[in-house]
Amino acid sequence: MKKRVGVFVCDCGTNIASVVDTEEVAKYAADLPGVVFSTTYKYMCSDPGQEMVKKAIKEHGLEQVVVASCSPRMHEKTFRKAVEQGGINGYLFEMVNIREQDSWVHHDRKEATKKAKDLVRMAVSKVLRNKPLNISHIPITKKALVIGGGIAGMQAALDIAEAGYPVVLVEKEATIGGKMTQLDKTFPTMDCAA
Amino acid sequence: MVAVAQHPNIEIITYAEVTDVAGYIGNFKVTIKKKPKYVDWDLCTGCGTCIEKCPTKKVPDPFELGLGLTTAIRKVYPQAVPGKVFIDAEHCRKLKEDKCGVCEKICPTKAIRFDDKEEYITVDVGAIVMATGYDLFKWEEVYGEYGYGKYPDVITSLQFERLSSAGGPTGGKIKRPSDGKEPKRVAFIKCVGSRDDTKGKGYCSRACCMYTAKHAYQVKDKIPDSEAYVFYMDVRTAGKNYEEFYQRSLNAGAKYIRGRVSKIYQRGESLVLKAEDSLLGRPIEVEVDLVVLATAMVPSEGAQELAKIIGFSVDKDGFYQEAHPKLQPVETFAAGVYLAGACQGPKDIPDTVAQASGAAAKVCGLFAHDMLATEPMVSEVDISKCSGCGFCVPICPYKAISLVEITERGHHGPVKRQVAQVNGSLCQGCGACVPACRTAALNLKGFTDEQLVAEVDALCL
Repeated sequence: MKKRVGVFVCDCGTNIASVVDTEEVAKYAADLPGVVFSTTYKYMCSDPGQEMVKKAIKEHGLEQVVVASCSPRMHEKTFRKAVEQGGINGYLFEMVNIREQDSWVHHDRKEATKKAKDLVRMAVSKVLRNKPLNISHIPITKKALVIGGGIAGMQAALDIAEAGYPVVLVEKEATIGGKMTQLDKTFPTMDCAA
Repeated sequence: MVAVAQHPNIEIITYAEVTDVAGYIGNFKVTIKKKPKYVDWDLCTGCGTCIEKCPTKKVPDPFELGLGLTTAIRKVYPQAVPGKVFIDAEHCRKLKEDKCGVCEKICPTKAIRFDDKEEYITVDVGAIVMATGYDLFKWEEVYGEYGYGKYPDVITSLQFERLSSAGGPTGGKIKRPSDGKEPKRVAFIKCVGSRDDTKGKGYCSRACCMYTAKHAYQVKDKIPDSEAYVFYMDVRTAGKNYEEFYQRSLNAGAKYIRGRVSKIYQRGESLVLKAEDSLLGRPIEVEVDLVVLATAMVPSEGAQELAKIIGFSVDKDGFYQEAHPKLQPVETFAAGVYLAGACQGPKDIPDTVAQASGAAAKVCGLFAHDMLATEPMVSEVDISKCSGCGFCVPICPYKAISLVEITERGHHGPVKRQVAQVNGSLCQGCGACVPACRTAALNLKGFTDEQLVAEVDALCL
């Protein structure tokens, strides 16, 4: 596999850029071994941001991608998809969290920028050793279990059942209805609760 | 309720609890314990003859929350769904002392089964919706200033619902529990256990402001020349038509007093409330006939254990933890397990219904696919390194690793030996097995030792 890494550093509006000097991080990343392209953008997760990633993969022949932005819990799937649409395996991608684990928890701009550089350097080093992975598929049992037969459980069971799927509704009492059965009238319409 | 019971796609299993959940998204195996009902529900028609004839008539009715009595064989309430009877083993004389047995004799369909035992069944499902609801905060245990529950005329809002309900013990006439008289002066205390870090919970229970406004309105509406006093910290009416509803209660004559009640005590037949009117800035004393406490919502009993069985987390107050407070409010950290209603946090009916439909939409979204894509970042075994020690097997929290026998070519013909095998669809990629492997045969795809060492080197060298 060729070593052609692209690094994309996100400002997240001011969420990251107010504490981390993203321009400096991108400039630093450009000189890391294997990196052939680096840039910053105000909102990397936005449509133009993702387009940027896809375009750079094609224009610069990127083989690996690193995005330095928020928590992977937030946008790992977003960027993995963008990378795949750009034409390379989605697992030849690493995400660096410079928001929750950097700009949101530090105040010192110099130190936070240094930490962002460290994190990016680590990810670049890792992504060069990433291998393409493939998603496998498993069958789904199209039947739902709803635990609790109060208002929430009944509504969920009804909606799923209406969509055509079988539902098992388990209730610990000897009747469904939950606390609702004990209520008289309900606000703000004063309907009966039966 | 009836719509649920009549739906051909819904199987209702009442008087039952989930005791075990194995498997993973798309393929859960659930064990359900059916508690003994002592009645064959296939035969019971719900005619109610047994309820009429049951001689044990002085059982405190859990449904009426101590305000009414019931029989040992009964329905939870007359409109129960399914409309079948069960025997309360704690109070049935036949089950306790082997006496009586009247119901068995008179049941026209011979449905009584005194030898009924608990039964375990398993079902295969692809998704789970948690809708375990809430319980009320046990105020009697901590609020000494309100009498620790020793005054019969200090009741909870849910008890007030029973007093106000046409199906309740008083037929919908508001009467106080001590002497059955109609109270002319009723006080409501909000935030009992809510927004009280010292004795209760830090959070707001969200529904109390509105149901208390309703209760105060009902007092003014049902009892002529009555007074309704509402003691509050704030009035929170953030919901469609809620502020208007609160105004309706005010217009009906409910008196709102801003301040906490510091003491309740008996004076003759009345209860005296000592409080502070914080708008006037002075202590006040109000004499009433009935006090209604708007107690906090807390997670229902056993909810936390259930979360542990299924494998997702609860928040600091024991409510089920959503995957993200704004963007994933119905998902949990366990894939394929969704949240609906007050089990996730205190909620009123409109929010509960909305969240339940949200959870249902997630389930339908999952079921709309025939196959489910799985994360490829799972453990893999390098069998050339695996010694087959089996150390990783009990460590895996998802029961994804097993030992299998393989045949290899040896110098003197085929050789059999044991190696670990990872089930890729059970493995969640947690990585617990990797450090446990003594021969470094296990690696997590996407997080191999080589990749992690490269990261550390990049940082340190």
